[in-house]
Amino acid sequence: MSFFDLKGTLKPLTALKQFGKKPHTISYPKEKTEAAERYRGFHYNDLEECIGCGNCSTICQNKAIDMIKVEGIEGEKGDSGLRPRVDNGRCCWCALCVEVCPTGSLSLTRDYLYVSDDADTFLFVPGVDNPEGKNNLSFITDKEQSLNVFNRVPMPELEGMERVKSFAEVVLGYNEEMAREEASRCISCGLCTEVCPDHMHIPEYINAIATGNDEDAVRIIYDNNPLPEMCGKVCTRRCEDVCAIAVRGEPVAIRWLKRYATETAKTADITMEIVNPEIKEPNGYKVSIVGAGPSGLTAAYYLALRGYDVTIYEANAKAGGMTMYGIPKYRFPIDSLDKQIEYIEKIGVKIKYNTKVGKDISFEKLYKESDAVFIGVGFPQPWTLGIEGEDAKGSMQAVNFLHMVNSGEKVDIGKKVAVIGGGNVAIDAARVSARLGAEVTILYRRRVQDMPADWEEIEGAEEEGIKIVPQAIPVKIHEENGKVKAIEYQLAEMVPDEKGGRPRPVAIEGSNTIMEVDSVMGAIGQQGDYSFLEGEFAEKIQVERGRFKVNENQQTTDPKVYAGGDAVNRTADAISAIADGFRACKAIDAALAGKK
Amino acid sequence: MENIKADLISKIKSTFENVTEKDHDGNRLDFYVNKKIIPSILTHFKVNEGFIHLSHISCVDWLEEGEFEIIYILWSPKDKIKVFVRTRVERENPVMPNIDMIWRQANTYEREMREMFGIEFEGLVGEKEFVLEDWEGMPPMRRDFDTEAYADETFWHRPGREDAMDVREAIIERSREEIPDFAKKYSR
Repeated sequence: MSFFDLKGTLKPLTALKQFGKKPHTISYPKEKTEAAERYRGFHYNDLEECIGCGNCSTICQNKAIDMIKVEGIEGEKGDSGLRPRVDNGRCCWCALCVEVCPTGSLSLTRDYLYVSDDADTFLFVPGVDNPEGKNNLSFITDKEQSLNVFNRVPMPELEGMERVKSFAEVVLGYNEEMAREEASRCISCGLCTEVCPDHMHIPEYINAIATGNDEDAVRIIYDNNPLPEMCGKVCTRRCEDVCAIAVRGEPVAIRWLKRYATETAKTADITMEIVNPEIKEPNGYKVSIVGAGPSGLTAAYYLALRGYDVTIYEANAKAGGMTMYGIPKYRFPIDSLDKQIEYIEKIGVKIKYNTKVGKDISFEKLYKESDAVFIGVGFPQPWTLGIEGEDAKGSMQAVNFLHMVNSGEKVDIGKKVAVIGGGNVAIDAARVSARLGAEVTILYRRRVQDMPADWEEIEGAEEEGIKIVPQAIPVKIHEENGKVKAIEYQLAEMVPDEKGGRPRPVAIEGSNTIMEVDSVMGAIGQQGDYSFLEGEFAEKIQVERGRFKVNENQQTTDPKVYAGGDAVNRTADAISAIADGFRACKAIDAALAGKK
Repeated sequence: MENIKADLISKIKSTFENVTEKDHDGNRLDFYVNKKIIPSILTHFKVNEGFIHLSHISCVDWLEEGEFEIIYILWSPKDKIKVFVRTRVERENPVMPNIDMIWRQANTYEREMREMFGIEFEGLVGEKEFVLEDWEGMPPMRRDFDTEAYADETFWHRPGREDAMDVREAIIERSREEIPDFAKKYSR
């Protein structure tokens, strides 16, 4: 190295090229720096969005999150009423709680500074203790990043125009792989069980399916529902409306999973083997049941398990009530129903078919011979339309039409059919008519979105080429030689209800349209027929607004008589009937066991 | 980029046996190899193919398959391409060849994997303890390590949290659901 090392002397001067540039070091006076974009600071919870599912608390590996009651938040359907509280002394800010939050209400904020010498103040209820956190969110969950799976495993179905060729079942059912995958979407919060009229143990059986224990799933399902395969096919599934996953995605297919589990038991014998129910020794009490619908069958099944001598009196040739005679076979095949009835008979329930109470056997005789009576007679009588020409040949009630088709009778409906109504019965009648080769139009007085039928049913009907004319009020059935020739209807406009109810349809004068049809089917609702209660029973067992008056134990005004199903509840679905039957069974058991 | 990748694939496959590759979008290319050839293939990449930089070594616990997967991520500044060299090692007594003579910094990754997954590296020199202190029992990054139970035992529970409720039980109480005992093992 020479004394005059030019390179070594000049090299430091290269630093001058940085002159005037923003320094990388901390500047003085100190500037406030923003936390990183996805910084994970204290939690914030949107209390309105949160449904208290507790998934954050479950995932937390540090046990830092509790679910607690928060003042001012009441539980309701689809909301447990609980909210998370975080122990920031245990939290490690991994943010898994945010990533599994199904609603997206939980986030982490950019706030991370908190100083206190009182360790107990490190317990935060996010959203309650830091409402200002809302404006400082950083680590949030969106649907793409969430660890929840928001899309349902699609259900294989028959093609729309393929379906109308036969009465083959439309929904084909999940296979094992699909069922396991769909079941693993469930977060087991159990919010669904509260809205189920029967409070089935939904998270438990879904978890059993997810872990590959189908037999346990079947046993859990049969704990309080003896007709689960029917529910697995046609339940109104209010559970799916409140599913936590449904807040941002498609609900877990609870109904299809129940169907999958019960279908793994292919026959009544296999069901018997799997469920292996404990049947108590006969206790000497006798219970008679009027009507073998879902409520009667449920009461009978659980009473028989408890050692009662149970006999059901059924007016028709087959059991199942409306699920047998009202629901079309492409939704609920007859062998599936037969399998379930066979199983119920196997455990000791006696069913007397073709025996109408009030005609073939008197109610008084039943009452005197039994220690308790359960009435599950449903709503067999359709309302009539109340318009001119209704007596013409070709004008019929949809319920009667379905009854005849389901019992295997031939019904002549011609080539063109008009169905009046917007409920499931109307859609069923329309879809059955399409399968009999008719061109079908549904007339409904309100809008399509007001239809009480399941949206899947409405969609199914449209796929099968059924025309829906909304806001149409029938006024007259035109006849020729005593046969239906056409239906005349008026279009309606929707007028907002002043009392705040749903909008009412009001006919537009002069909008009359005449449509040529061969058949008209009314499907505007049904009512009860209580003529079998004769003499003193008509007074003792009170009926209020068309339904039996019962207490919370399904007991009528005669203490020995219980009632359930459509003739009691307002929800008019199978699962409510099953719940009624199960409740009545427990009440009858409590009343009679107490006598001993 | 596609030419460079195709060229690289053919060169690697003609030099080494039992190598499969998977092409990814952009500048990434994966090779699946047997663990025995790890030192030689990594040396080859560094010396002959210009992958002079070791970006990262990662480990995945494939619990259900009974294997760990070790992934070496290499970078070529010349071709601007990154290569993932992936290999599997059995989960029971896992032993991997040591590569810290190829890249000195691999030593740190290997010590970390030894501590967190319990993988031994042949002839690895370095303190046994890496970040954990006095750790005994199952390495904590293994998937069958119960983090929740560990946190529960190790970290003191603050009093004042006794009012915590279980969501499922709160709903059961409200709706008066009667859940049978045999079903409870499936509850959350």
